[in-house]
Amino acid sequence: MGLNNQLDSIYESLGYVWPELILTFSILVVLTTGLIFKEKSHVTFVLSGIALAVALIPVLITWPQQPVSLFSNMLRVDDFAAFFKVLFLIGGLLTLTITGKKKEAAEFHLLILAVVLGACLLVMSMNFVMVLLALELISLSSYLLVGFSFDRKSAEGSLKYFLFGTVATAVMIYGLSLLYGLAGTLDFSSSPFIDSLMRTQSPLLLVSCLLILAGFLFKMAAVPLHLWAPDVYEAAPTAVVAFLSVVPKLAGMAVLIKLVLSFYLFGQSVYLWPEMIAAVSIASILVGNLSALVQTNPKRMLAYSSVAQSGFMLVGLTTLQLEGIHFAIFYGAIFLLMNFLVFAVLTYYEKHGDINSVNSLSGLGRLSWFPAFSMLIGMVALTGLPPTAGFTAKLLIFSSLWSSYQETHSMILIALFLVGLLNTVVSLFFYLKIPYFLFIKEAPVGVTIKSSGFSNLLHLVLVIALIYLFLQPDLLMGWINRITFVL
Amino acid sequence: MHLLSYLIFIPIVAALVILAMPARLSNAFRAVSLTVNILQLLVLLAIVLNFKISAGYQLIEKTPWITMNLGAWGELRAEYFVALDGLSFPLVALSVFIMFIATVSSWTIEQNRKGYFVLLLTLNGAILGSFCALDFLLFYVFFEFMLLPMYFLIGIWGGPKREYASIKFFLYTLLGSIFILIVLVGLYLSTKTPGQADLVHTFNVLYMQDPANLISGSALALDSNSYLGPYSFRLWAFLLLFVGFIIKLPAVPFHTWLPDAHVEAPTPISVILAALLLKFGGYGLLRFAYPIFPDGAIYFSWLVGFIGLLSIIYGALNAMASKDLKRLIAYSSVSHMGFVLLGIASATVEGITGAVYQMFSHGIISAMLFLIAGVLYDRTHDRLIENYSGLATKMKGYTAFVLIAFFASMGLPGFAGFIGEVLVLFGAFQSKFINGLIPSWMALAATFGLLLGAGYYLWTIQRMFYGLFSVKNYLGNLADLDSREYSLLIPLALAALVFGILPQLLLNYINPFAAEFVIRWFAPETLIP
Repeated sequence: MGLNNQLDSIYESLGYVWPELILTFSILVVLTTGLIFKEKSHVTFVLSGIALAVALIPVLITWPQQPVSLFSNMLRVDDFAAFFKVLFLIGGLLTLTITGKKKEAAEFHLLILAVVLGACLLVMSMNFVMVLLALELISLSSYLLVGFSFDRKSAEGSLKYFLFGTVATAVMIYGLSLLYGLAGTLDFSSSPFIDSLMRTQSPLLLVSCLLILAGFLFKMAAVPLHLWAPDVYEAAPTAVVAFLSVVPKLAGMAVLIKLVLSFYLFGQSVYLWPEMIAAVSIASILVGNLSALVQTNPKRMLAYSSVAQSGFMLVGLTTLQLEGIHFAIFYGAIFLLMNFLVFAVLTYYEKHGDINSVNSLSGLGRLSWFPAFSMLIGMVALTGLPPTAGFTAKLLIFSSLWSSYQETHSMILIALFLVGLLNTVVSLFFYLKIPYFLFIKEAPVGVTIKSSGFSNLLHLVLVIALIYLFLQPDLLMGWINRITFVL
Repeated sequence: MHLLSYLIFIPIVAALVILAMPARLSNAFRAVSLTVNILQLLVLLAIVLNFKISAGYQLIEKTPWITMNLGAWGELRAEYFVALDGLSFPLVALSVFIMFIATVSSWTIEQNRKGYFVLLLTLNGAILGSFCALDFLLFYVFFEFMLLPMYFLIGIWGGPKREYASIKFFLYTLLGSIFILIVLVGLYLSTKTPGQADLVHTFNVLYMQDPANLISGSALALDSNSYLGPYSFRLWAFLLLFVGFIIKLPAVPFHTWLPDAHVEAPTPISVILAALLLKFGGYGLLRFAYPIFPDGAIYFSWLVGFIGLLSIIYGALNAMASKDLKRLIAYSSVSHMGFVLLGIASATVEGITGAVYQMFSHGIISAMLFLIAGVLYDRTHDRLIENYSGLATKMKGYTAFVLIAFFASMGLPGFAGFIGEVLVLFGAFQSKFINGLIPSWMALAATFGLLLGAGYYLWTIQRMFYGLFSVKNYLGNLADLDSREYSLLIPLALAALVFGILPQLLLNYINPFAAEFVIRWFAPETLIP
């Protein structure tokens, strides 16, 4: 291929990556305006908000998107990527709205944009090099975001995240190098890759695949790579935690789906991928829920809850079938809503004082019922009880699991089914802890709480979305159902 | 007509209205709540006039709710499907009546009335919705939806140990409903809508009850050969549903949440808990577990009967040993709900009729008992039986109603409790000769429960009401019932009497249901080998 052809192909490809171009451009703009308007944080706030909203437009108007390979098979645009991009952009927007005033606002907003950009690129990647680049863009930006409280604790959290993260990346790169040696190509969607994987008998193949997946399980905070989550969640600013617990997690899940489908070789693989994922899922659900039981710091508790939620997302993937993956994506979308609702209320309470322990939330629900009610809805949704979309999401992924069991009669699937559903009872105990302190405990004398119209509105929108998607899940499912997978 | 929808959604809309009203109108909330109850009573009247006494579902409302494409697994379809039959009609009527009583009894609630009445009305809608729903998903949603209001009603307005009691209640019942959910997921994926070319998975309970609609080869089909340990999946599914519902009933050994919840809950909530929420155990067995898995019901009939018997005896013995009046009544509930289980286990027309009748009569009588306990607690804030003596000399009206309630509850002929229990015993005795499901020694032993019932009630009357007047730890003047309390107790006492003297009023509705139930799923000739 001549240089001219390559240039032509790059030029053509550029027409498909408008959202990413917009984000890249706005990162530069935010950087420069940040230097000029040093004291006025709202300037970069507005700019980055506009950037995220504008980036949504090309994604939405090109829906449904025929799969097109770009930049000589480095990236691919398709419905799968587009749906996740919508989630990331919404996640970014929600994070901006719950952030409030920040020191070094320009850098903060810039980093949020960078993580979203990385996530968008990650879900489009078709080549391991691209995957690595996008993943590092997410990782480096999020290490910095964790440190944004500028105190000792958050620096510690940031460093911990960095150390764990780099090791996970190193392990992943090691796996990649092994796999490159075995397969001879880094394009994991190409037929030479699939062919050589089918031919390979070496047990090294399994080792390398597992090492690669470890990198994404780390991003998702799934057991056994979840150890960073509690410390980092506790140290980071609450808005950043909300962001990190959703956007990188969903991006990790998206790549995990693509990679596992590729490693699974349409069921030809000799390795028991569904069983392995089921084992990770069981472990995540159990460890996450049981550890969350004893936490008293709300953020630590939500960190373990997010470990368990990763387990639930993986439930859909264990089926390795289109339907199950659809439901996993649905779960991811609902998780975005419910998790942000919970964190939005937490940041609201944080404005009134410390929230290092659930005790400090005592009785706040009696003073002002609406934020506490929103918190209750968020927690009920995370538990997976009606009338919230959290219930629908759980119902669907467990339906797919049951169907898959009927086809395969694999015992670990029925174990996952029972463990997952029975854990609802365990999780209720800690999810209800915060509403319990909000409503049932008495508030200490002298505590007052300011009602805020804007945050109430945000909570209301999320609450309505969660209830509406319970009543009409087909609204979202109809969209997700059109996603197809071509490898 | 949409009569059932009115019944379900009037309270829910009213709850939203109260939510929108400013908190300082604290007297208006009671009025709104009472208006809702009166409207519901009027709707109930219309339902009674429209309900034809015959077997079959009536006042049917059916609209599509969730239709979702599951790709290769067909389509998921849930409906808003409500209707009444001989099983749900008495329970719906009971619910409307008891919710009215509960609202009037809530008149004295002072703390945070807005929240209280919002929760009470939500609970009201959820209870009625669960009794009317014939779509399993719809039922499940309403069923779960009862838990949160109940949790907060006990947790905020309850007694000293309310926090422990409310979370215990929530966790226990959630465990039960998760068992039900496990079966629900497997069941709808095994059921198809008849008469559809494509595969449409349905939550319609009536379709689930017909084995012809189970997809051949699915894990829960009749011809399924999936086993997990000793039992097939169908038997496991029955067991899960059974345990899920008897937690709610509650039956020994899953009853321990009940005494705590009852003792700590405020009086109106105890009334709702005992009179209505416990009924979902029996209702769920008769609506879901038994018709959908009759093979499981037959296989485990001995176990079901035995747990029923155990509850009768163990509940009664515990009641006898209770020092706290409310705890005594709570354990008596366990004992009385054991009769429901025994009647269901017999799977005879008498047994089933008796079980439904017992649920209805227990609803009325237990409401009365908890109100009585509340009257005393309101005055002295003390419920220990040993601290009272000779109350009959000071509180004459109160004593009269206590006697009525106690005698009704111990199953004295002439009161509603008698009819239910005696029918259950008939069924239990006959079972051996008709279908051989439960041995007659269980029936024999259950009669002993009646004796124990008489024992603890008479002993309580003797200790608290006879002898010389004395009340420990309380110096004030012990006033007799006031007019509001009379207005609560008189309708209940009348109902207990009317349905004891004229049982035909209710049997007309229940009996066709029970006959159809037994013929369709437990016809004797198919059972006896």
